[in-house]
Amino acid sequence: MTIAVVETWIEEPLKRFVGDARVRLALLLHTSGQVVAQSGFTRAIDVMSACALAAAIHASAGELGKQLDGKPFHVLHHAGKSRQIVIAPAQTKRGLYIFLTVFDQESSLGLVQLYFEEFAKRLADAAPAAEPTPVVLAENFERDLNRNLASLFGR
Amino acid sequence: MSLVNYATREITCKIVYYGPGRSGKTTNLHYIYSQVPEDRKGKMVSLATQTDRTLFFDFLPLDLGQISGFTTKFQLYTVPGQVYYQTTRKLVLQGADGIVFVADSQARQLQENIESMQDLHANLAEQGMDAQQVPLLIQYNKQDLPSDLILSVPELEDALNFWNVPNHAADALHGHGVFETLRGISELVLKKLSAGAGSR
Repeated sequence: MTIAVVETWIEEPLKRFVGDARVRLALLLHTSGQVVAQSGFTRAIDVMSACALAAAIHASAGELGKQLDGKPFHVLHHAGKSRQIVIAPAQTKRGLYIFLTVFDQESSLGLVQLYFEEFAKRLADAAPAAEPTPVVLAENFERDLNRNLASLFGR
Repeated sequence: MSLVNYATREITCKIVYYGPGRSGKTTNLHYIYSQVPEDRKGKMVSLATQTDRTLFFDFLPLDLGQISGFTTKFQLYTVPGQVYYQTTRKLVLQGADGIVFVADSQARQLQENIESMQDLHANLAEQGMDAQQVPLLIQYNKQDLPSDLILSVPELEDALNFWNVPNHAADALHGHGVFETLRGISELVLKKLSAGAGSR
């Protein structure tokens, strides 16, 4: 099981959830679609696509819920032939995150929901209040940027 | 909001291509996708209608490589341009680190450009983002069309560029100006991110 996290406080709650709930994939992301942590993905770039789609599903279902029910839908569940997806929000002091997990016959919706509640609580407890310090780029970052973009476009 | 992973020294930035319907936002992404080597890009995701009009968004992840010791990744999004997809545009705009406004240079599209720019400012304000602080660049697309059909860049600047942000003339279909636009917005976003840069 490979887990990658942007900030270390997320690692333990995620590791525990993946082990307990026996899920195949797990993703924690910002509502803007930026990945915060992942487990089970093999190629970083696929994580980004999954995040963009998960954020879109969460946002559109939230709007639909507001229009139908006056408040956003809390948990979304999609059942496929062999795999199932659960998407749910997790509130912390750092703000709202979206959690996406994929599981198969090794787990069940009930198990995932049960451990998700625990995961969300652990995440909320572990989240530090302070934002990370801003990044400092070298003054001459434009040189790197121009070189990399030129190579990206084969120039 | 740019995401910085200090453990792996990675920066991820979200750039949104905004503008009226059929101005060329998706065309910009398609051109970029066609030019970038396989190992530097992810799958291009398009949530489109059966006639290929953008329904929710297009999404293209790019790996820019090392910049100042950080592995830098850009996530390029487009919004649907048509007026009735207002809610969707707001959702996609969430957390944008930079915006490329793709204007349609055709004279008959001027009013659509102005309305879309106003819509952008209103949506940014609604999300508590100051339109004068968000890195923004205007691309005047379709400048390759016959001159009697289009407005010149100075004419478009007068009508659309309220805050004198950087601009690029482009013909996205054939790739002219696409690279320069991406480079321009990348610079603005990274400058904003770097220490001490509080504005454009």
